[in-house]
Amino acid sequence: MQSGALTRERDVREAYAAHSGELFGFAVRSLGDRGLAEEAVQETFLRAWRAGDRFDPQIGSLRTWLFAILRNVVIDLGRARAARPGVAEGGIEPAVEPLEEALLSWQVEEAMRRIGEDHRRVLVETHYRGRPYAEVAEELGVPEGTVKSRVYYGLRALRIALEEMGYEG
Amino acid sequence: MKAERPECRDWRLSLGAYALGRLDADQRAALEAHLDGCPQCRAEAESLDTVAQLLPLADPARFDHPAPKPAADLGERIAATIGAERRAGKRRRQRRRFAFGFATAAATAAAVLAIVLLPGGDQGEPAQHISFHSTPADIHIWATLEPHAYGTEIHMYVKGVRSGTLCQVFLRGPHGERVSAGTFRYRWGDDSDAVLSAALDLSRTRALGVRAGNRTFIAPVDSKGATALVKEEQEEAT
Repeated sequence: MQSGALTRERDVREAYAAHSGELFGFAVRSLGDRGLAEEAVQETFLRAWRAGDRFDPQIGSLRTWLFAILRNVVIDLGRARAARPGVAEGGIEPAVEPLEEALLSWQVEEAMRRIGEDHRRVLVETHYRGRPYAEVAEELGVPEGTVKSRVYYGLRALRIALEEMGYEG
Repeated sequence: MKAERPECRDWRLSLGAYALGRLDADQRAALEAHLDGCPQCRAEAESLDTVAQLLPLADPARFDHPAPKPAADLGERIAATIGAERRAGKRRRQRRRFAFGFATAAATAAAVLAIVLLPGGDQGEPAQHISFHSTPADIHIWATLEPHAYGTEIHMYVKGVRSGTLCQVFLRGPHGERVSAGTFRYRWGDDSDAVLSAALDLSRTRALGVRAGNRTFIAPVDSKGATALVKEEQEEAT
């Protein structure tokens, strides 16, 4: 058995402790349903364990491998749901965006949650709400130059958070 | 990050506002004059630009919601299922049935999340239509990527930029490296596609970018070839 392979139950427990939060977050975002998302995460770890000796840390990280499996599971669940229209009735609208884009959206939102509050706030106020830097500076009681530099450091922090999540843009 | 020279500090602090299009014309012109002569700051600007292009994908209403957590006992339920499956001796059979599927799942990991990429050419892959989602409302970019033995052929059509605008097209590889695909000029009234090529296999391509004037637009690229392989296996397994 190669080191890093996911062949023992203990390996699965460790992988679950390290990655289940992120996987679940993305599954909820894609499927729009907590119950289905739990099903997806469970299926992901089962498939990972069954194919555990195929995992090669030389090729890519465990996290990347699990996300690739989850991606397939989400596609399968989406198909199964489409084949049984009654199941989705009354439920939350499933994500209609393509899965790659859903993953990227989720990563950006997760990265935004990970950066500091000061940085997030200036990005939200100036970029998403389109407010003038001067107005935001006054509201925060800081010089306008500080808002500008927080936008810079905020984007950098975002880039680092995204890289930590495997994005290599 | 590239090493920052002390004299670059003030320029650096403007790069966020620059990437998000919030400098006025004079500030932008002054900064671009600096970027023309400073490869380090230029690299930083391009890198922030890539991040800035992703922002429209996110919904700010979700930033304040804590990430959802799975039920506390989900880990235990998974462990129990795996334990039961192991005891039932299903594993050997499952492994035979799924072996190929997970080899391709690993291939998808490489192609989609791009930690590692498939070697070699990929002429068997279909052409890919690329969507640029983060462009302003008045700018439209359509592009198709076709795999060839020599790399990737790019057909691109841009609408909404000033006539005569120089468009520099590039692909990004697995490690974020930039492979130039050449340039074209947008001409008003010209409905033809620009045809360009880059020496990077489509399966290794992470993103397609175009710098039109002083704005850069980037769209992610994924490998349909690897996805198709997984689909075939799933049909076989059912």
